[in-house]
Amino acid sequence: MPEKEFRAAVIGLGRMGSTFDDEITRGGQFFMPYCHAPTYTASPHTNLVAGADPHAEQGEIFAGRWGLERGQIYADYREMLQAEQPDFVSLCTTARHRAAIMIDAINAGVKAIWAEKPFTLSLAEADEVLELSTRKGVAIAVNCSRRYNVSFNQARRMVDEGELGEILQITAYTQCNLSHNGSHAIDAMRYLVGADVEWVFGEMESDERAAGEQDLMGNGYLAFDNGARGFIRGSPTGAAPWEFDLIGTEGRVRNLAQGMETQYYRWVPGGLRDEGLPARAPFPLPTHIPSSGLSVIEDLVDCIKTGKQPRCSGLDGRKALEIAIAMRESHRRGGRRVDLPLTDRSLRILSSEIRSDAVPARVRRLQSNRVAA
Amino acid sequence: MYRAAVIGLGRMGSTFDDEIQQGGSIFLPYCHAPSYVASPHTELVAGADLHAEQGAIFAQRWGLSAQQIYSDYRDMLAAEQLDFVSICTTARHRAAIMKDAIEAGVKAIWAEKPITLSLAEADDVIDLGARNGVAIAVNCSRRYSPFLSEARRMAQQGELGELLQITAYTECYISHNGSHAIDTMRYLVDGDVDWVFGEMESDEEAAGEEDLRGNGYLAFENGVRGFIRAMPTGAAPWEFDLIGTEGRVRSLANGTDTQYYRWVPGGLRDEGLPARAPFPLPLSIQGTGLSVISDLVKAIETGSDPRCSAEDGRKALEIAVALRESHRQGGRRVDLPVADRSLRILSVEIGGDAVPARVRRLRQKPVVA
Repeated sequence: MPEKEFRAAVIGLGRMGSTFDDEITRGGQFFMPYCHAPTYTASPHTNLVAGADPHAEQGEIFAGRWGLERGQIYADYREMLQAEQPDFVSLCTTARHRAAIMIDAINAGVKAIWAEKPFTLSLAEADEVLELSTRKGVAIAVNCSRRYNVSFNQARRMVDEGELGEILQITAYTQCNLSHNGSHAIDAMRYLVGADVEWVFGEMESDERAAGEQDLMGNGYLAFDNGARGFIRGSPTGAAPWEFDLIGTEGRVRNLAQGMETQYYRWVPGGLRDEGLPARAPFPLPTHIPSSGLSVIEDLVDCIKTGKQPRCSGLDGRKALEIAIAMRESHRRGGRRVDLPLTDRSLRILSSEIRSDAVPARVRRLQSNRVAA
Repeated sequence: MYRAAVIGLGRMGSTFDDEIQQGGSIFLPYCHAPSYVASPHTELVAGADLHAEQGAIFAQRWGLSAQQIYSDYRDMLAAEQLDFVSICTTARHRAAIMKDAIEAGVKAIWAEKPITLSLAEADDVIDLGARNGVAIAVNCSRRYSPFLSEARRMAQQGELGELLQITAYTECYISHNGSHAIDTMRYLVDGDVDWVFGEMESDEEAAGEEDLRGNGYLAFENGVRGFIRAMPTGAAPWEFDLIGTEGRVRSLANGTDTQYYRWVPGGLRDEGLPARAPFPLPLSIQGTGLSVISDLVKAIETGSDPRCSAEDGRKALEIAVALRESHRQGGRRVDLPVADRSLRILSVEIGGDAVPARVRRLRQKPVVA
């Protein structure tokens, strides 16, 4: 194996750690390599040197697939951190243990963490991780992958360069549980608008769900500090699957059908009373389309070298969680607007992905798709 | 033939159609006088306006004689024995004129929007109209759009599956053109609103009674949720997006384009893709105003409710008032109906209404010598 600059390891050797890319049959939302192990293997910056998982079979499959020795697979990630001294570590376990593992990794001296979403379950956990990582100078990228998607990057560039005029509205039709894939939806809204949320209104799927801590569906109205307003529909979206609509005074970008299509509109003369018509123009592609995962690594390498924040930082991860919790608080308070930041840091959402996490997702899936004899 | 008259002989009463260059949102004839003239059901027999010059222009254009024009609409109601009356004055006097017309014995009223300024006025008019069996259509014209009517037919016949969401990007003052926007949302969803959350452009505007812009979240009783952006909409001018489990209809750019989407196999993980299919056009498309008149004739002859009834007009106003109340109460959800019936919005169109809009426009655009 050629020597590359950084030693990388994966904790949690399942779907996002290893096999997710197998599920993807077309580009748009992601370009390959996307998930952690294939990206470390492909990157010119990293060598994949180890993996950790409490389930032995997961470790064996991982070692076989990515060409690691048995000695490079650990049942206890703490032993791996100590023995391997990785520069990069990916956190692809259940979100239940993410905060604890991030803290251990920071204390073990890693340079960069690439963490799955949601960032943590509670705000207090997020605060603790961010405080420690700032003190130790560890770069944390949260895998809200749309920040590393070429279409979203172009849309944001158009915002930054004024091509869409003043940004007025971001609408997200994103059927999801608010912590689990809501992390993506809310983060993408913040990213596209390029601003922070001051207050929210939210309606959850039921009073019972809103009262509990389990992950849940809901809708919300977001007031950004630059004057833009957001509407997110996390409840079922039917014939409008995963869509973002960014509207400015001069132009508009719609990202449709899970990122498989991006549309750009701008004014042309015409219309009912000659007040102008928004006509579709070709969406401006960049000259080069990077893979999603390799973009994350490039970003983290840059952070290690310059001290800048990753494009999707731990701070961004915390904000997505805080907005989701504030929407739930709004419902809990009888439909009131809720200002950010939240004062009660013990609030949390038990992301839907942690359900049944004692058994690897791969095994659960095998059990639910039993082969007929 | 029903005898029809117009009260308020200005833009909506007479000349609005001159401004329209492209079909879609409306088809001509649309506004009141040209519709009465073109309809096989009606004869335009009179007009009333305080401003003599407005009357003279109207008489000339629609072939009426000087004595068919009245400066006091009450004189006209007493003299002309009208079946239809259109109310195209400033909204300031609409409630009073509707009541006078009902008491004068008209069979049908075609009223401009908003229906009234206050909820109490709307209550009065609806009560009196119901007691006297007068059909009242409010001119929220999108109910008479062939495209939006077709979208509603698709929703009602299950072609869009279960309805989930209606989104409106409709830059407007929430009473003035908000009447259109809110009514269209109710029409497409075919449900009533249980409660709303609203944000107005500023605390000062929310505290006052002047018409204002704002956004809102609407909870419909049938489970559908609505989002309306009446604050500036930039590159998304007047758009409605109706989303169901099986299909979706988008009405774009002020009704000049209508799109239909439904599922086809494919997608990222073969979970399906919403593909655009041709929007199903109805077999015939008539002038928007003619549809209103046919609807009112049916209401007179069968007792049916007009497609955009006074009740619909009141509900649009009540939702707008509730959106403002939500802001006034510090940003909290407000349940409907609104208990305080004295609440009102001074629709933006009543500003400067002592002078006809035509004259105001002439003053704004001085002719270069």
